[in-house]
Amino acid sequence: MERLSQLAINDEGFIFDPYTGNSYTTNKTGILILSELKNGKSGEEIAKITSEKFNIEHSVALKDVTDFIEQLRSLSLL
Amino acid sequence: MKKLCIGVTGINAVDNPGPGIGVIRSLKECKDLNVEIVGLAYDAMEPGIYMDWLVDKSFILPYPSTSEEEYISRLLYIKDRVCIDMIIPTLDAEMPFFIKSKEKLESYGIKTFTPSQEQFNLRSKAKLEETSLKIGIKTPKSKTVTSYDELTKAIEELGLPVMVKGAFYKAYRAYTHQEAVGFFRKIVAEWGYPVIVQQVVSGEEMNVVGVGDGKGGDLGLVAIKKLWITSLGKIWTGVTVKNGKLFELAKTFIEKTLWKGAFELECIVDHNDIYLIEVNPRFPAWIYFATGVGINLPSRMVKKAFGMDFDNSTEYEAGKLYVRYTYDIVTDLSLFQKITMKGESL
Repeated sequence: MERLSQLAINDEGFIFDPYTGNSYTTNKTGILILSELKNGKSGEEIAKITSEKFNIEHSVALKDVTDFIEQLRSLSLL
Repeated sequence: MKKLCIGVTGINAVDNPGPGIGVIRSLKECKDLNVEIVGLAYDAMEPGIYMDWLVDKSFILPYPSTSEEEYISRLLYIKDRVCIDMIIPTLDAEMPFFIKSKEKLESYGIKTFTPSQEQFNLRSKAKLEETSLKIGIKTPKSKTVTSYDELTKAIEELGLPVMVKGAFYKAYRAYTHQEAVGFFRKIVAEWGYPVIVQQVVSGEEMNVVGVGDGKGGDLGLVAIKKLWITSLGKIWTGVTVKNGKLFELAKTFIEKTLWKGAFELECIVDHNDIYLIEVNPRFPAWIYFATGVGINLPSRMVKKAFGMDFDNSTEYEAGKLYVRYTYDIVTDLSLFQKITMKGESL
């Protein structure tokens, strides 16, 4: 979580990791997930928020959120 | 404020650039430092000689491999001509001379700010593993080799891939035994023995530039990651980073070795593990990057050498981008003639 809180994320989805110098890009959903993770929300809670915001089924949202979190883990950002 | 005359080497701003121009630019941009720059070159074609907005005067030096007497005599001639107060050597091959002749140069009124011979030896590629072990820093295993048989044995022990490195310059990654032999021969032909064979560790390569005060403290540290390198392995684009573990390693290195002078640490960061790959006993060619983010290490070093107060701030922003570029100068042939014929621009 500490690494996540250090990430610099702009409104357009450009992410800079000051710890490694790596940068990434993401979409609006990714920005939302990152922002909620920073707020301490769980995957389940974030899936609920995204399903309501983007009007999609909870199971679909949960799968996407879980995938995204796994990607963050594989990049050692989480 | 008294004008200081500073001699700077490594003004070969070419495809494998020396650090001199970055050092000079840093000194010239320091508002409370009044400097005149003397470019010290080894060839009339070194671009710094012609960059008159940065280099005020230039002189050709004999190669560092020449005799100590000849090298000193040339420096004293230059001192007579332009009253040099301090020299900042920036090339690896010069460091042994400037370290050895530190007291002699000081007695002639030429200051330097370089590590001791002992410190210089500690960070040599051949001794880095032993030193790192002593001061508690991780470093890849390495072997110093001087023959084909030793090379083969080292590869067997370390396992492929390996880095094949010259004692001063050049480093190649070899994936096969045949490749390693090729690089070994290439380095020996160009730079001679010994050759260092180093284990490859995976992770992100990051670098730290700093200046040690000789008492265990530092005059500032800046860490970067190279984003884009040339075919010669030289940085072309980079970004500043802030990695606590990297700073910890740099501070341990300075405290334990009591390092004096400029240095560049080349490290591999693999999650929580940091490996020290190489210590360069001088400013790197990208030194202006540190100046650009507010940590003007060359000016701090000069001020420290002359006992002047200096800004000791350590804060800089992560995520600042460095972009190198090429530039063209069109000038008259007369300066080239003077340098070629007289060995100086006066």
